Amino acid sequence: MDLHEKIGLLIDDMPEMRSSMRLQLASAGLEHCDQARSVKEAIDRLAAGRYDLIVCDYNLGQGTDGQQFLELVRRKQLLPLDTAFLMVTGETGYEQVATAAEYAPDDYLLKPFTSEQLGARLGRILNKKEALKPVYRHMGPGKDKDREKALSACDELLAQGGRYQLDVLRIKGELLLAATRLDAALALYASVLQQRSTPWAEVGRARVLAAVGDAAEAKDHLERALVAYPNYLAAYDALAHIVAKTDKVAAQALVERALKVSPSTQRNRELGTLALENRDFACAETAFRRTVEKDRSGFFKNHDDYAGLARSYTEQGKTKEALGTVKEMGVHFANTAELKARQAALECQVHAKAGNADAAKEALERALRIQQANQLDPQAALEVAQACFAGGRQDDAKQIIQAIAEDHDENAAVLSQAQAVFANAGLEDEGAMFLDATRQRMIRLNNDAVALAKSGQLEQAIAMLTEAADRLANNCQIAVNAALALLMHVHRNGPTAARLDQARRYIAQARRINPAHPKLAEVEAYYRKVAPVDAPPLEG
Amino acid sequence: MDAPIDPLVAAAIHDAKNALMALDTQLAAAAHHRPAAADFRTARASVSRIATQLTELLTLYRAQNGALRLAIDDHDLADFIDDLLAELGPSPAGIALAVDRSAALTLGAWAFDAYLVKLALLDALRNAQRHAATRVALALDAPPEGGIRFSIADDGPGFPETLLAGADAVTSQSGTGLGIAFARLIAARHATPNGRHGQVELANPTTGGARLTLTLP
Repeated sequence: MDLHEKIGLLIDDMPEMRSSMRLQLASAGLEHCDQARSVKEAIDRLAAGRYDLIVCDYNLGQGTDGQQFLELVRRKQLLPLDTAFLMVTGETGYEQVATAAEYAPDDYLLKPFTSEQLGARLGRILNKKEALKPVYRHMGPGKDKDREKALSACDELLAQGGRYQLDVLRIKGELLLAATRLDAALALYASVLQQRSTPWAEVGRARVLAAVGDAAEAKDHLERALVAYPNYLAAYDALAHIVAKTDKVAAQALVERALKVSPSTQRNRELGTLALENRDFACAETAFRRTVEKDRSGFFKNHDDYAGLARSYTEQGKTKEALGTVKEMGVHFANTAELKARQAALECQVHAKAGNADAAKEALERALRIQQANQLDPQAALEVAQACFAGGRQDDAKQIIQAIAEDHDENAAVLSQAQAVFANAGLEDEGAMFLDATRQRMIRLNNDAVALAKSGQLEQAIAMLTEAADRLANNCQIAVNAALALLMHVHRNGPTAARLDQARRYIAQARRINPAHPKLAEVEAYYRKVAPVDAPPLEG
Repeated sequence: MDAPIDPLVAAAIHDAKNALMALDTQLAAAAHHRPAAADFRTARASVSRIATQLTELLTLYRAQNGALRLAIDDHDLADFIDDLLAELGPSPAGIALAVDRSAALTLGAWAFDAYLVKLALLDALRNAQRHAATRVALALDAPPEGGIRFSIADDGPGFPETLLAGADAVTSQSGTGLGIAFARLIAARHATPNGRHGQVELANPTTGGARLTLTLP
């Protein structure tokens, strides 16, 4: 593989390491290579341009590391799948890199190494990326994202043979799992494991078993996998995920074990969250303190970490520390409405717990003012709801939660956060009923509208769904159904520019909320079918 | 290697290893100015050998303290053998190295800790080169009972009887046995969820010489 035509990005915080690496890369043939000194610079570079390859040092200073950086840019989809990512590490970082679970680098190289070794490694990764390009193309992000096409590309590569068979099978297993084609996924993992034991296939099989409802078998497989592969983080994650459904205390213990292997911010956050649910506030305090203290760059911690820490202190009666944490949030994050609402809501809860009724009331009123004046993200809004419970304003709390639950009725994570707010207020059962009723109402709304449309009362269906879609800007199902009703009208009564515009707008809204929604492709195809040839095309 | 390593000794080994890395950087810089000089290459090869031994010692120390965890993932076997040979460097004068990589191409990839297995094989190859009369052979195959098996054979005088009898640490002219203790540890720590483990076997074949095989499950 010739590196002369490639464009690279080198990430290292140490100036002398950067210049020596730059020389090594040049003598390996890489002439075009940008440099970044920090996580921030690297993110800016990635947002601005496209790179064929990235060489990243494990240690990036400020309590940050290359593994955290990789997880962040993969999750934010800033790093195209066909960009090669090579992690350079000393012996101490090597275990962290080599045990990375979901977001592994394409390869890692231990220091010291020669420019020939570096060039050979980069060449190998780029060859593999090139071979897998037909699959990556359909794995998104972007307009070509299409899981079925990615699966067909896998099958074509498998039929051709070649040296990357196992890599293709690994990707195909993930795609089948994501598509809940569980029989096919199970067959794939079983056939790989018949020939060899390998951690990813062991975990893959267990995840399929859990998905088909065989939790006991899945747990058994994962526990045995962890004996053989005690460093394989994906096995801890999969096991903790299964165990958490029935036993949060056992799940907490598992996350603590995984933390011994890899003390990442993300895993400390998971531990803190579980410990809060288990009312193990001392453990939660330690875990959240690590998330806010370790990362001095501010890129990897978030509002939730400070909120978790403040709650851990509050529950232990450490009022001063809790208020200090709330104040400290303001130092580390941009001054947004979310931040202000969150701070005020947390202050209210701390004061309420400490018995300072006046201070709690003042903070709650501040939080509610911000909440009413802004469209807050669900986490900040739920914090305000939590404060309402603490300040004795149950009706306000429920009103806020209902709006969020309607808007995010397909988002399991948000719904479980909403349930946690009820649980924290000691209203677990009432919360479950309340949220279930909200869910039923949304199902009924969709069903009623569909029934109206089917019985020919399209105008009424459209009115109902567009009203809901405009109110619930984060509800994908409603947006999809609103577009469908409009397009049915076009199909039946002929196109009008206004209805087509409206349909297009709801399709864009649905795509923004959840590009992977199962009904999205159908409604897009319907638009293409019924829209006249000169109508504007769909975005994206 | 049953005698425990003192934490102080472990810390000293760690320091020595860092100093060795600094020395290697200096040697590399010096070699850059005099690219034709072979003595720098020899010196760097010595540094690499010492560094391997120190790493082996530290790994044994971590194993004794329950802090050794393998990082198992798929590795392409042909690439792995290429890396191994690149790190081994040129063969000593008069000793040929034969490599059979046919099975590597058929097998494709295998799951193992490439860093630790590479160290074990590097040490075994260097040892074989030191004792060989004319020839060292590296081969990979897939034994019928499962797993993969690396074999390193030479045409030297063979392993001492004490080593064949299972002793680990033998102080003799042939070395301390550290490399073999390390290889045994690394092989044994490779396991599968259904309980199979790797192993190291030493033999002096009737045709002469010594043969070490490292099997990974």
